[in-house]
Amino acid sequence: MSLKNLNRKQTLDIAMALGKVLLKNGAETSRVEDTIERFCAKNQCQDVNVFVTPTVIILGDEQPDGYNCVCRIRSRSINLSIISEINDFSYNVDKWELGYEETLAYLEGKLKEEPPYNKWMVCLASGLASAGFSGMLGGNSHDFIAAFVTGFFSMLILKQLAGYRPDAFWENALAGASIGALALMCCSVSVQCTLEKIIVGAVMPFVPGVAFTNGLRDYMAGDLISGNSRIAEALLFASSIAVGLAFVLQAWRNWGWDLW
Amino acid sequence: MVMGLYESFVYSFLATIAFGVLFHGPKRTLITSGVIGALGWIVFVYLRQHLEYNSFHANFFATVVLALASEFSARIFKQPVTIYVIPGIIPLVPGLGLYRGMTQIIDKSYDAGMTIMLTACTDSAAIALGMMMVASIFRVVKMSKDKRRLLCK
Repeated sequence: MSLKNLNRKQTLDIAMALGKVLLKNGAETSRVEDTIERFCAKNQCQDVNVFVTPTVIILGDEQPDGYNCVCRIRSRSINLSIISEINDFSYNVDKWELGYEETLAYLEGKLKEEPPYNKWMVCLASGLASAGFSGMLGGNSHDFIAAFVTGFFSMLILKQLAGYRPDAFWENALAGASIGALALMCCSVSVQCTLEKIIVGAVMPFVPGVAFTNGLRDYMAGDLISGNSRIAEALLFASSIAVGLAFVLQAWRNWGWDLW
Repeated sequence: MVMGLYESFVYSFLATIAFGVLFHGPKRTLITSGVIGALGWIVFVYLRQHLEYNSFHANFFATVVLALASEFSARIFKQPVTIYVIPGIIPLVPGLGLYRGMTQIIDKSYDAGMTIMLTACTDSAAIALGMMMVASIFRVVKMSKDKRRLLCK
């Protein structure tokens, strides 16, 4: 059993599943296209065309009577472990032992796989990232601890609400609002905290800096549509966080309490 | 404000590892990507605050350094480059600029907001340019190696 001697339909099936797993786990557009093209070329389908944007994969022949498949991607998250596994798969496809059916089942399983870190580890990491950034941007030890608490609890709130599947905009606005509320609480506990240093640390796990940079990289690589959509998404997320935070801070100010 | 290089190293190391966990990176690559991220950040801090380069150049050179480091570790540990580059650019990436710009715009100070957003854009462009440059150099090297092997046969 191996992945040799696939016919055209089987090749396209596996290529589509590969692309779906990669794109759902946050791989760049060019990597998805490259992986699919490489896999097809290995199975004597050099003439397959592939078009990938962050929300859709189109894969098909140039002939009018050829195969053609489309896959709509609705949600994406970043999971580098799975990208690394699929990369191993695509480089060692000659030594792969499973057959066609098993490979499809393996790739389907990757879509449903639990991420390697549980909820608490992610919250802890969010706290640590916030604390590290508030240190990098010049906060003192009180800011460090306050940013840790803020980052930890805001991520925890988001994770608890993730089961209700909020829209991306509301999710980020909520993150901003909870960061604002928690940072204000930390400031009222300790006099040595500065509100700005806590907030700039605590928003870091949520702001879409990497998405923005990847969007520009897509532009430079010639993937214009995917660059457009990534940059639009990044701007939307940044503005939703800002809206949530501004809402809380404005409410605090309107009640007549001090801002630090 | 000039920051000490040692404490910048420690803080950015912590932040990069935490982001590696947030992005669900494989456990065995976390320490390496932490070192790469911290390397990029201290190069940035050194160029920006000690040698007073402008923001575009400091970002560009820091990204080149960290992208080179990630390409080498990707070759050594047999992983895709993304595993190291995505957490590695985290300390440099101007997410904070985007957020601050949006806050200013919501606050109706459009001039300041646009200035911050455009700075964030050019910084992102510098980072993307650095990543692309290193990646294409490595691609050219790999292609010429393949060609030589083909010619030898």
